[in-house]
Amino acid sequence: MKFSVNWLREFVDLPKNPEEIAELLTRAGVETENIETRGANVEKVIVSQITASSRHPNADRLTVCEVDDGSGTKRQIVCGATNYKAGDKIPLALPGAKLANGIEIRKTNLRGVESEGMLCSPIELGLGEDASGLLILSAEAKIGAPLSDLFPGDTILDVEITPNRGDLLSHFGLAREIATLTGKKLKSTPREAKTDIKKSGVTISATRECPFFSARKIDNVNVGPSPQWLRAKIESVGIRSISNIVDISNFVMLELGQPTHAFDADKLKGMINVRLARGGEKFLALDGKTYSLTSDNCVVADEEWAVGIGGVMGGEETGVTNLTKNILLEAAYFSPASIRRTARNLNLPSDASYRFERGVDPEMVLRASQRATELIREIAGGTPATEINVAGKLPTNPADVSLSYEKCDRVLGISIKRRTVDEILEGFGLKQTKSERIRKNGSSKWKIPSYRRDLQRDVDLIEEVVRAYGADKIPGTDRSRFTPASIADHAHDLESAWRQRLAAAGLDEVRTSKLLPRERFAFSESAIELRNPLSEDHVALRPSILVGLLGVLDRNIRAGAERVAIFEIGRTFIPPSGKEERHLGILLWGNVASAPNWRSPQSRSLDLFDLKGALECAVPNLSFHSGKFPDLALPVDVFSGDQMIGFGGQLAAAKSNSPGPVFVAEVHADLLLIAEETATKFREIEKFPAVTRDIAMIVPEEIPHETILRSIEEPREPLLESVELFDLFSGREIGAARKSLAYRLTYRDRSRTLTSEEVNAAHAKIRERLRRDLGAELRE
Amino acid sequence: MTHPLEQLRDDALREIESAPDEQALETARVKYLGKSGSISSCSEQMRTLGKDEKPIVGKLLNEVRNAVTAALESRAANFRSQMQSEALARIDVSLPGTPHEIGALHPLTQMWERSIEIFRRMGFALADGPDIEDEWHCFDALNTPPEHPARNEQDTFYLPDGRLLRTHTSTVQIRTMQAAPPPIRVIAPGAAYRRDELDATHSPQFHQIEGLFVDENVSVADLKGALEFFMRELFGAGTEVQFRPHYFPFTEPSLEIYVKSKALKGGERWIEVAGSGIVHPAVFEAVNKARGDNAYDPEKWTGYAFGLGMDRLAMILFDIPDIRLFGQNDLRFLRQFA
Repeated sequence: MKFSVNWLREFVDLPKNPEEIAELLTRAGVETENIETRGANVEKVIVSQITASSRHPNADRLTVCEVDDGSGTKRQIVCGATNYKAGDKIPLALPGAKLANGIEIRKTNLRGVESEGMLCSPIELGLGEDASGLLILSAEAKIGAPLSDLFPGDTILDVEITPNRGDLLSHFGLAREIATLTGKKLKSTPREAKTDIKKSGVTISATRECPFFSARKIDNVNVGPSPQWLRAKIESVGIRSISNIVDISNFVMLELGQPTHAFDADKLKGMINVRLARGGEKFLALDGKTYSLTSDNCVVADEEWAVGIGGVMGGEETGVTNLTKNILLEAAYFSPASIRRTARNLNLPSDASYRFERGVDPEMVLRASQRATELIREIAGGTPATEINVAGKLPTNPADVSLSYEKCDRVLGISIKRRTVDEILEGFGLKQTKSERIRKNGSSKWKIPSYRRDLQRDVDLIEEVVRAYGADKIPGTDRSRFTPASIADHAHDLESAWRQRLAAAGLDEVRTSKLLPRERFAFSESAIELRNPLSEDHVALRPSILVGLLGVLDRNIRAGAERVAIFEIGRTFIPPSGKEERHLGILLWGNVASAPNWRSPQSRSLDLFDLKGALECAVPNLSFHSGKFPDLALPVDVFSGDQMIGFGGQLAAAKSNSPGPVFVAEVHADLLLIAEETATKFREIEKFPAVTRDIAMIVPEEIPHETILRSIEEPREPLLESVELFDLFSGREIGAARKSLAYRLTYRDRSRTLTSEEVNAAHAKIRERLRRDLGAELRE
Repeated sequence: MTHPLEQLRDDALREIESAPDEQALETARVKYLGKSGSISSCSEQMRTLGKDEKPIVGKLLNEVRNAVTAALESRAANFRSQMQSEALARIDVSLPGTPHEIGALHPLTQMWERSIEIFRRMGFALADGPDIEDEWHCFDALNTPPEHPARNEQDTFYLPDGRLLRTHTSTVQIRTMQAAPPPIRVIAPGAAYRRDELDATHSPQFHQIEGLFVDENVSVADLKGALEFFMRELFGAGTEVQFRPHYFPFTEPSLEIYVKSKALKGGERWIEVAGSGIVHPAVFEAVNKARGDNAYDPEKWTGYAFGLGMDRLAMILFDIPDIRLFGQNDLRFLRQFA
């Protein structure tokens, strides 16, 4: 909310520097977000009148003016502007004045002519951007008066009021807070209504939603424009001036925090009743829109129609117009919960509902009515009824709150003198109930002021103590403690290890949005959509990580990347239930190296085997089997043990618009994370040497590596330790539809040195198997 | 008078010194130290010497052998160095090193890892909770009933079945307390969602670390100690930390945390970095009700909670001007943080 510092000063003395007020409030939890200076904040600038002017004897573009400054003697001023005539009233900066642009005015001599000051344009006074000519003042301006009389300087504070502090949503309320924080006395408080109260003339059916309602008739008002001071005041904090009656209602709300509403009394039919709306009841509000009400909404109604949505907005048809003669002034208390429901359901927030939602001060309802009545009589004339019609009961004062001093110390972690605590709470308007018994217990009991309904429990009082005492004065303490690792810790560490390994393997980690645009559910048939998306880019929860990775690929190809090797580990949401699974996604595209380099000038493209390698690098002991997957050419299923954990392959050409093949894989990481963590056990390092033998062979192209490997390994040769493929090629020299492979076989016995005879025997058996089973042509 | 052995030594050293190549050096070695070399044969003659002479000549012989051996080795080393220098003379050491592709971790991951590492040193364990939540965990249990002005459904993404995307990671506070009695000392990294348009400072998906410590006598002082330590570890020892009263429905008192550090851009400004406070007793009461016991008796236990915005902290720490850069994943951006 915007606050005028001048307005606040009517209630409390403030530090001269607005920055200081802002700092004071901010440190007490009332954050000042912006400070704006308005009006003419210049001294020694007065209203003057040009009585005569003549051409400068030595300069074509200058004139010499004779100016009346109100002192009786005329001044001579040299001036460069041309937009004036004799008789105009112009702001005059006297010698010693400091202008908005920082220039200090002195008596000078301009081309041989004395100039005793300067006639000013708006920009020089900080009154706008206009630099084209002098600021011509109104003819009524008093000669010699300070310019700040015409353009009073003010500072506007934009303050963030937290939802618990409805009592600060008025100038009086904020001034009261500042008075407490600075230890100053309030200069004035709103007067109590002295008018007779009559419990008739209005009724309430919806007592839960509207506990109290008052109406005061004021006859024969003159509706018209507001006087300048009123207009300036409400406009300074961003409220548009409409008419004197409406402006007064807004003024009182800004001053005291209590919304009021004026009806055109002649358009009301019969007595006012506050009731729940009839389902489907239509209502034309002051904003010109028609609302369809439900039985949840509380309305102010005459005998025929709803004339206002209680506490939210008045009706168009019964609003004050220029023709209005007699008005009915409403001031009421609406329950915060009901107002919030209504404003939210109708999507109709207003300045009034904003305050009722946060709770207005029950003691301010009739005072606000009185204040508005007085202002209306003063400004718009009119005769207020001698009595005010009321119905219902104002909420009783908030319940007393007990505070244990020991608990206060315990929660804050320091020891504060009881006296200090008492003084702070008393400063905020709380009153201690005298009870020796309670005090002996180390506690005190406090009466809460009507405007502080947020103070409900001891911790609320403790917060007040921190606010006033200063959080800075509480020294930090060390409360570290031993905490065993949780399941989430283990999962996190494993995930971190994967990240590290994949990065070390040359893949960049990305983080993509979990919210996807519509129709981009590749790799899943559907996705969970939001009920209330805000933009078309964020409509559904991702069922797969790969959609995001493909987006990253597009962006980087467009940016000129030659290699995109990326991964992401994160949550996915599996339809239809939205089960959250942590997935690892990998995408490879482009060259093995991101730029050509002199060590390996013949760069090759990333391929399926790089993808398998990347997966194996993150997750040990994977196996791959050709699988089926709709969006993939070359699909492979990824297994850990005998559990399938994901898939990978080359993106189907139909699904890809990238130049060159794109390889993707996605695995369900949770399945791996839940595996029991067991410490690796040491195995004795081999003492006896290994013997290696290579086999080179030519086989028909259709025989896969997997088959050859099985033929080598089964039935198992006890001495064979490992098999590695180390060469593979096909080409014209070995004939069409054939390929050449070379394997290195390692033989070892862990308990003795092998003889070449026994290795030869084992190796010969394997060679024979290859020849017999696969028809392999073995090279010597 | 020079002993013949000394004469032999001087001859040998001269010959070694002047050997023009390795072959000549080998010839010299054989000549003096070979099986039938001069020095070897002198050793043979030792047997013929008298008792008095033996130790003196023996000592001298040893010295001569050592001197010749050393000279041979030194000369041989010279030849090896020379050969190496010739072999390497054509190598251009200014050529670049063999490049390795090393990937970068996303700056948000780095921010998370750094934060988690600091909190772990203070004895926090990790906790976790779902992104898809219900209204009770996201609002009601956190002292924000439907009519509460701080409960803003406008800013919340809902699923068709009435569930929602959590608007803060504070939901994990509730889940952790439901699952285990006090004491609790956890941090929960995770994503949260607000119904905001994507712009330079807002993102519908953002990232947080939630913290919760419940024990006997947990105080504002303890909260300050922990978060001051965290901020100084993160932003440097010279960082100033300020706690300003604020309002959150689920903490009372509530404090917003500001830091100021010369190491950061705009160094003399206070920057808001986190929200925190003492857990509101109403939160404990809601948890107790759900648990069906009084494990979190507000008179016995107190706690502090905090929430740190990872995107914001990373933007401050790494001087990143636009939150959208995190989601765009331009490799030229990511690689800066490798």
